[in-house]
Amino acid sequence: MAAVGLALALLLAGLVLRRGGTIPWAVACCAAASVVGRAGHATADAHAAALGVLLLLAAELAWWSIDLSPRLHVERALVRMKAVGIAGLVAGALALDGFLLALTGITPGSRVTLAALGMAAAVAVLALVLRGGPR
Amino acid sequence: MTTFRSASPKLTGYALLGALALLASLALGRPELLAIGAPFVLALAVGAPLATEPRFAVQVEVEADRALEGDEIGVRLVLEAETAVARLDLSLGLPENVEVCEGSNPVSLALAAGERRQLELRLALQRFGAHRLGPVVTRAADPLGLRRWESVVDVRPLVRAHPREELLRRVLRPRETQVYAGNEVSRHKGVGIEFADLRPFVFGDPVRRINWRASARRAELYVNQSHPERNTDVILFVDSFAEARLGDEGTLDLAVRATAALARAYLTRRDRVGLVGFGGILRWLTPGSGLTHLYRIVDALLDTEIVLSYYWKNIDVLPRRTLPPNALVIALSPLLDARSVGALLDLRARGFDLAVIDVSPVPFTTRPSGDVEGVAYDVWRLHREMLRQRLRQAAVAVAEWRSGDPLQAPLEEVRAFRRRAYV
Repeated sequence: MAAVGLALALLLAGLVLRRGGTIPWAVACCAAASVVGRAGHATADAHAAALGVLLLLAAELAWWSIDLSPRLHVERALVRMKAVGIAGLVAGALALDGFLLALTGITPGSRVTLAALGMAAAVAVLALVLRGGPR
Repeated sequence: MTTFRSASPKLTGYALLGALALLASLALGRPELLAIGAPFVLALAVGAPLATEPRFAVQVEVEADRALEGDEIGVRLVLEAETAVARLDLSLGLPENVEVCEGSNPVSLALAAGERRQLELRLALQRFGAHRLGPVVTRAADPLGLRRWESVVDVRPLVRAHPREELLRRVLRPRETQVYAGNEVSRHKGVGIEFADLRPFVFGDPVRRINWRASARRAELYVNQSHPERNTDVILFVDSFAEARLGDEGTLDLAVRATAALARAYLTRRDRVGLVGFGGILRWLTPGSGLTHLYRIVDALLDTEIVLSYYWKNIDVLPRRTLPPNALVIALSPLLDARSVGALLDLRARGFDLAVIDVSPVPFTTRPSGDVEGVAYDVWRLHREMLRQRLRQAAVAVAEWRSGDPLQAPLEEVRAFRRRAYV
């Protein structure tokens, strides 16, 4: 509960003060709260998939809200495109999580496959960060 | 146009979340962390390839580079996108006293590849001056907002807002005229319309100038002499050492508007008008005539501002051709700075035909409520009256002009003084 409260506080602080740096911490606190709360149910089930997608949606909406300044007039076409983009991303995330759920449910050896996929994804993320960092 | 590329905090945040979730999933053996972190990795995987630097151009077109104070002008921002821009934030820098009355600034929009878009703005020029618009600051982002490209387009068109001039029915008549044709009746005798005198006929005089009645009485030919119409030289002397200001209006604003009105009135009469901006920054324009010269005078006035200076200046610093002999000098001054008063008395001592319009700072002040401060305020007002009396004693016509009163009123007061002084 404390972690959830902290996550909400961080999210609110980020939205009010327009500081996007607090959003990842809010998401991390939520994820930690979920993991702690589901101790003993260490499975990648629909609950975890839904949480992941919801956290992505919350983060996207929070970033969008911070990006929009009250002084800035935003064209409707841009708002539509952004909404469609977020919807597409959420749908893609749902599909990805569904695929991962399917993988974990197939065979015991799938855990190894999952671990390998996780390692590859972690390396890819680090590579992206190194390539796309500020210059 | 220099572009600065940066990664948004979102990129770093998503990358950290994804990496943390995946590594924690492996380290703690909690597969649900993988399901939580996977969407963020997906966002990065989808967004990163789309984050390519957009290429676009921005131009600023202004409807007119001159307008009147209070008018509106149209400004067009022309955007040409070479590549698609998922999000483009645009802001046109506006100087003080220029406001947007139609259109949006700043604005956020999207551009397709090859698209050409025009954004229309209408700007209100609330005060006279030389207003430089721009620059245009742009910030582009990819579809997921992972990267930003910021640039400043250094396009800065200049818009000149001319002061609104009051229409003057009559202006001050200089005592001496010059040699060129104009609208002022000269005291000298020559060829003109106004009758001046009779003189005996000499060979070469036009027959039409013979006054037959006088000739019949005298039994010899007499011709009419007239006062020719000549032009005059007028120097407008603007005191910019100090001003009194309350809110958006001040004595310098009044002086500039009055100077523009006087310049137009005299130039319309085919007189030559010069300008002296006497203050922290010294400006001058030698006398000239015509519409082009009016624009020169107005442009010089637009740049007039109060610049604090402790350097003692007198009129010796002015080039001689700026103050031609026999010119009428009309000074517009709030009489706040001793240097201006000294320069005016110096001009009079050198024999210039001088008239002073005291642009009163009193409406821009309030009498303090305290006893000592109130007395000091009263003493200050008495000091100003003393300055005016000192100028009158030097045969300088002075009239006080307050904000809200028509400029014609002090001009008529000065005319009356000049008429009495020379009767």
